[in-house]
Amino acid sequence: MEINNIDIKDLTKLYNSFVAVDSVSFSVKKGDIVAILGPNGAGKTTLIKMLTGLLSPTKGTISYNSVNFSKSQNKIKKVIGLVPQENNIDRDISVYNNLLIHAILYGINYEERKKAILEALNFGELENYSHRLANELSGGLKRRLVIARAMLHKPKILFLDEPTVNLDPHSRRHIWNFIRKINNESQTTIFITTHYIEEAELLAKNVLIIDGGKIIASGSPDALKSRLGHFTLEIFKSDSIEYQFFHKRDEAIQFAGGLNCSFKIRELTLEDLYIKITGKRIE
Amino acid sequence: MHGIYGIYFRELLIFKSKFFKNLLASIISPLLFLFAFGFGIGKHTQIDGTNYIAFLLPGLLTMTSLNQAYGISSEINISRFYFKIFDEYLIAPIGRWQILLGESLYGVTKGLISAAIIIILAYILDVKFSMSFLFVVILLIHLLIFSMLGFSAALIVRNHGDQFAINSFIITPMVFLSGTFYPIDMMPSIIKYVVHIFPLTYTTKLIRDAFLYDRLTSLTYLFVSIFILISLFIFGIFIVRKIE
Repeated sequence: MEINNIDIKDLTKLYNSFVAVDSVSFSVKKGDIVAILGPNGAGKTTLIKMLTGLLSPTKGTISYNSVNFSKSQNKIKKVIGLVPQENNIDRDISVYNNLLIHAILYGINYEERKKAILEALNFGELENYSHRLANELSGGLKRRLVIARAMLHKPKILFLDEPTVNLDPHSRRHIWNFIRKINNESQTTIFITTHYIEEAELLAKNVLIIDGGKIIASGSPDALKSRLGHFTLEIFKSDSIEYQFFHKRDEAIQFAGGLNCSFKIRELTLEDLYIKITGKRIE
Repeated sequence: MHGIYGIYFRELLIFKSKFFKNLLASIISPLLFLFAFGFGIGKHTQIDGTNYIAFLLPGLLTMTSLNQAYGISSEINISRFYFKIFDEYLIAPIGRWQILLGESLYGVTKGLISAAIIIILAYILDVKFSMSFLFVVILLIHLLIFSMLGFSAALIVRNHGDQFAINSFIITPMVFLSGTFYPIDMMPSIIKYVVHIFPLTYTTKLIRDAFLYDRLTSLTYLFVSIFILISLFIFGIFIVRKIE
């Protein structure tokens, strides 16, 4: 089953009176990489949980290929993969058996299971760890196992919830390469939640900036940034930092020439846009 | 049905990885009760014309198998709140009812292993017992009831503390007051009636009669047990469908 378009309309999740996700609407096409960017508590994980069927929306609809997700969950779940925020693997059993359980749960035939598991091990570069207990793996390898497991049934849509949180820079880059590989090789549509600006800028074709449960900006990273310009001038005042945005470096240099305090000119990032819109940093 | 198999298989793999620890836990508790009650006060005591040790053994069988079957609640709890493995079941393309059945089958398997240990003890202690079809059916009903109870309890609670409270306020009193160690006829009159709210009261009586005498003394108790089982099955499905 191919998923060509995903339409989210007016999606809302309430916990008593607390609004975790507030009337979110957007559409995604096949092969897209969508980064959902926002600070902790913005509603990113709640949104992902609704999109994968782990949570029921209070209001709104999720449609995959114009099929209402709530009406046909098991059919659509077959083509969904999830890499949750936590490494939710069985620590007391082998890497191979972790994958085997997943293969059974996704109804992969006995004859095809071994092949699917070997492909997943190969994809996650985990062949040498196949018979090791999952508990013996490093943090980066555990993350790769969770990603390999999510890819085992060859999903058409992959959700990654903070995939590189708590990983060292080397492992983080390794995971980024995996994400690119998944998208390039099989045109898998990817949703990735993150509070790392760099991650969103590097990977995403489209970005949703979310805060307080609402989408406050959306578009390609370049389109979003060009709303402000291309260069940021950071002005270090005695008690604060001020930001000015310019389309050309020369304009920034010219403006800075008239300042009597220290400053820095750099390329504009998505975080600048976020700060401009919300008045705070992503933490 | 692959959901039931996947969940059952996963639980068996985890169980296998801790097999000796689990086996020891199944043996220690009944042995302690056997020494404390059976050999301590049971040598010269007769209940309903039966040697007390013979009377006690089926009680221990229901108690230990209950502990093992109901014990899946703690395991589900840990996989749900701590390791988040339960989410793997919730996101898989399987009916939620398959989660209930997969986990319950695991509870039954654990309960059967602990029941086998008591049966071996009965053999060693030269207690006359029957391994009839009736006994096996009643034992399965008993184990399914407490597996499903454990499953529902694990999904109702919001944290480990709630689970501990259920164990302290419901499971422990039930184990001691449901005719496990002595007949409920010997209890004060009010408690004698109150204990009939516990499913264990029915299954203990049924298991004891089938195990020792190969007889079904109360059809009502059997029907009540089946009714409890069906109710817990429906309740379990209701709860697992609601879980987020």
